[in-house]
Amino acid sequence: MSGERSVGANAVGIEARGLTKSYRGVAAIDGISFSLPPGSRTALLGANGAGKSTLLHTLATLVAPTGGSALLGGEDVAEAPARLRRQVGFMGHVPMLYEELTPSENLRFFARLYDVEDGAKRADELLRAVGLWTRRDEPTAVLSRGMHQRLALARAVLHRPRVLLLDEPETGLDAGGIDLLERLALRDEGVTVLAATHRAERIGRWATRRLVLDRGRVVGDEETAVAERGVEGAGAAGRAR
Amino acid sequence: MKAALAVMEKDLRLAWRDRAGWLTAGSFAAISVLVYSFALDLAARDVRPLLPGLLWVTFLFAGIISSGASFHGEAERGTLDAQLLAPVPRTALYAGKLLANLVGLLVVEVATLALATILFDEPLLTPELGGILLVGTAGYVSLVTVLATLGSRVRARVVLMPVLALPLLVPLLIAAVRATGAALGEPAGEAPWLLLLAVFTVWSAVGSALLFPLAVER
Repeated sequence: MSGERSVGANAVGIEARGLTKSYRGVAAIDGISFSLPPGSRTALLGANGAGKSTLLHTLATLVAPTGGSALLGGEDVAEAPARLRRQVGFMGHVPMLYEELTPSENLRFFARLYDVEDGAKRADELLRAVGLWTRRDEPTAVLSRGMHQRLALARAVLHRPRVLLLDEPETGLDAGGIDLLERLALRDEGVTVLAATHRAERIGRWATRRLVLDRGRVVGDEETAVAERGVEGAGAAGRAR
Repeated sequence: MKAALAVMEKDLRLAWRDRAGWLTAGSFAAISVLVYSFALDLAARDVRPLLPGLLWVTFLFAGIISSGASFHGEAERGTLDAQLLAPVPRTALYAGKLLANLVGLLVVEVATLALATILFDEPLLTPELGGILLVGTAGYVSLVTVLATLGSRVRARVVLMPVLALPLLVPLLIAAVRATGAALGEPAGEAPWLLLLAVFTVWSAVGSALLFPLAVER
């Protein structure tokens, strides 16, 4: 357990400098520049096709940029991708889980890939935190969509990342699941969060910043105030990080 | 190495739970050998000169079937990306997949050889043939594994494997067939076929390991 964290103590900043990704000459993101300070929690907004997913995939080193640079903690992701990947937790549109494996096996496999100390213990801890402890030995295929998403959340934070890149993480989650997501990831002050979302009504509960994309370009970048309601009580799930 | 072993264990577990890949490859190999045994007049003809070719063609297609299955759904469900996000060298992921494919296919091949031993009444389960099988299989599985990875990213995956894999595998297949023939006591010429097979296997494994990071790049 990491215990209490001070704001941004372990987090690293995210920066984009003229970041561009084109597919067959069409720019999905087009010369994007922004700087997110360590510990900030940013809501990434924009219509479908605005470039949110491409931006997140590029920052996560899954997609190579065709121009500009992306930096995590001041380091270019193109120059030290393997080392920087250890600092990144990613949650995409799809849960990125093996249906034939159990939730416990899924987390233990990824714990081995990330060389997580006490991986089995950490996996058990997160299974309890996301409410899947009693379903830990069932095939993941039999779990509901929301449970898949809870497990995906556990996978994303398994290695205690310093940056969380989340692509519409609330997809498929019920109200309890969204609360869990906010406690476990979005309001964790020890990480820098960049989360694409369409749930504008929830942003005030966790976001300290809004970044708005339109057709691959930044059209809005502003700090916001986090509403006090619901912020207290990170609870057991929050402390699991 | 730890990451490669983790990927191998995971892939073998998935293959065991799913069984579709192994069952399809095993069924294909068993049916092929059975059909060959009926097609060839065993009483009137010495089938030994034909066995190396029959066996390696069977192994080749069984390998393509089982290796392709190892990437079934990886791209669609995002698990390939989930592995690529991990702070491990791409080549470690490749090595894990290669080892899992190799183990699975060797199981199918040994079972096929046992069946062929009965049907063709030839002693095929020998240490010498086992060595040739291991080296040759490692060679073509290394290439097929990287091509299956590439195939998981493209729409034309059905045609990618035969179009790319088969021409690239011709030198290995010739060496494997010749080396197997020599092991069965057939005239195979002066060329050091086993050495050539080993060289092609090393070339294939190294080349594929270098190609894998590019194959998964987007």
